[in-house]
Amino acid sequence: MEILQNAVAWFLGLGSTVIVPIVLIILGLIFRVGFAKAVRGGVTTGVGLAGLFLVVNLIISALQPAVQALATNMGISKSYVDVNWADAGIAWGWPGIAGLIVSLLVVNILMVVLKLTKTLWTDVWSYWHGSALAGFVWALTGGNVVLGIVAGVLYLVLGSLMSDLTAKKYQEFNDMPGIGVPCGTTVQASLFAMPVVWLLDRVPGLKDWDASPEGIKKRFGLIGEPAILGLVLGFIIGIAAGYSVQQWLGLGMQVATMMVVLPRMVSIIAEGIVPITMSIVQYMRERFKGREIYVAVDCAVLLGHPAVMASSVILFPLCVLLAAVLPGVQMLPIASLAVIPFWAGAVVPYTKGNVIKTVIVLLLYSIPFMYFSTLTVDSHTAAFQMMGQYGEQISQGLKLASWDMGGDILGFFIQKLFGLFS
Amino acid sequence: MGKLIVVACGAGINTSTIAEDSIRERMAQEGFADVEVKRILMADIEGYLTRSDLVMIVSMMKIFRTFDVPVIQGMPFLIGSQEEKNVLLEKIVNVVKSK
Repeated sequence: MEILQNAVAWFLGLGSTVIVPIVLIILGLIFRVGFAKAVRGGVTTGVGLAGLFLVVNLIISALQPAVQALATNMGISKSYVDVNWADAGIAWGWPGIAGLIVSLLVVNILMVVLKLTKTLWTDVWSYWHGSALAGFVWALTGGNVVLGIVAGVLYLVLGSLMSDLTAKKYQEFNDMPGIGVPCGTTVQASLFAMPVVWLLDRVPGLKDWDASPEGIKKRFGLIGEPAILGLVLGFIIGIAAGYSVQQWLGLGMQVATMMVVLPRMVSIIAEGIVPITMSIVQYMRERFKGREIYVAVDCAVLLGHPAVMASSVILFPLCVLLAAVLPGVQMLPIASLAVIPFWAGAVVPYTKGNVIKTVIVLLLYSIPFMYFSTLTVDSHTAAFQMMGQYGEQISQGLKLASWDMGGDILGFFIQKLFGLFS
Repeated sequence: MGKLIVVACGAGINTSTIAEDSIRERMAQEGFADVEVKRILMADIEGYLTRSDLVMIVSMMKIFRTFDVPVIQGMPFLIGSQEEKNVLLEKIVNVVKSK
């Protein structure tokens, strides 16, 4: 017994960048993708994870002092560091990831067979939303892997039901028959938009007010490019923090680097995972031929409409300002701004591409994220720490927060529920 | 000169990876050694449009503008059956051959 315990402790001590490749290689062999593909996929994912953690280190060392200086200088309290999609590192790196993937596959297939949902969750990459939440619950319950998996599966099951409600609208607007988008904060944005758009359509004057997406893109389009957005934000934060010219120029480049490199690292993780899960995806698709099924795809397919980027460039500064002035909000969104275009993609089918309405809906939608990301900071930070990341800085008081998934509305309530078990 | 196929999606993370994987595999089967398949963010596409080796765009989103090179809707890579995927790959092979 003791030998077994020692073996498990030794294995967990390897850290996620070693464990995850091993787990994925085994999963790949079970899914019969072939040895070479399984090894390549597993190792690539480990590389992506390690790269992601490196970038987060850069974010912490650049942003933590800057955000603190800004807070002191402006007399506000914003001390949490925004790491946003670093949560993908929790999602693919926490110890329950393989159990979560298999559990969701089983539950989803059962639900489709029993006609409880039409959404066939083939997009394994998008499990990360539920898996990140599972990681928070794992941390929240002091390392309970089973509760983590249950929480993650619950989140993803609710996601497939939300996808059932929104699929037709996405299909019509984007001209993509047969798809469904069950992704976390994106599909929730659609549900949020439904009543708000209904109300906005009844406000005189607002009903027909619109702005031309092309015009906005021409004038502000540059801000829509991650590098430029990061550069400008870095400058503004540096200046507001009372930095010297040399310092704020440097901060601008660091934030620009973060905005470009963080998603690239996430994409390396995807590059590893996608080939390993392709065969299971193909199998599920063939299995349910002839039934009306919404095949789950990533929210990235919703970004085509010009109003998406136009609304996003208006929302970027508005969200930063709103987070700065709202009392009690501890995280200034920087990396998290990257999720806004995905929300916009989920809302434009409901606003029929109206830029003004999309901006209003999403500015309101961002408010719970601002508060929930603040409220969930402890489990969020603990998840990183329990995976062996940033322990030293965390023990010195570093707090890591995010909108996607830390600020997630549904995720917040699931965390509250599972917090009862801790 | 090499030939470049860009696969564009909203984030350059997941959906384009799935298509890129299938296209690359097929290009290797056809023995096209000079074809580069690159996944990108749709927001970054301007920089690729000026490249003289660009032969086609595979888009994972609905497109609301026109381009000088052929554009193929890549959605079947995500949700299509094997036959639908093959039809799409055949189209891509033909474009590459014609350039």
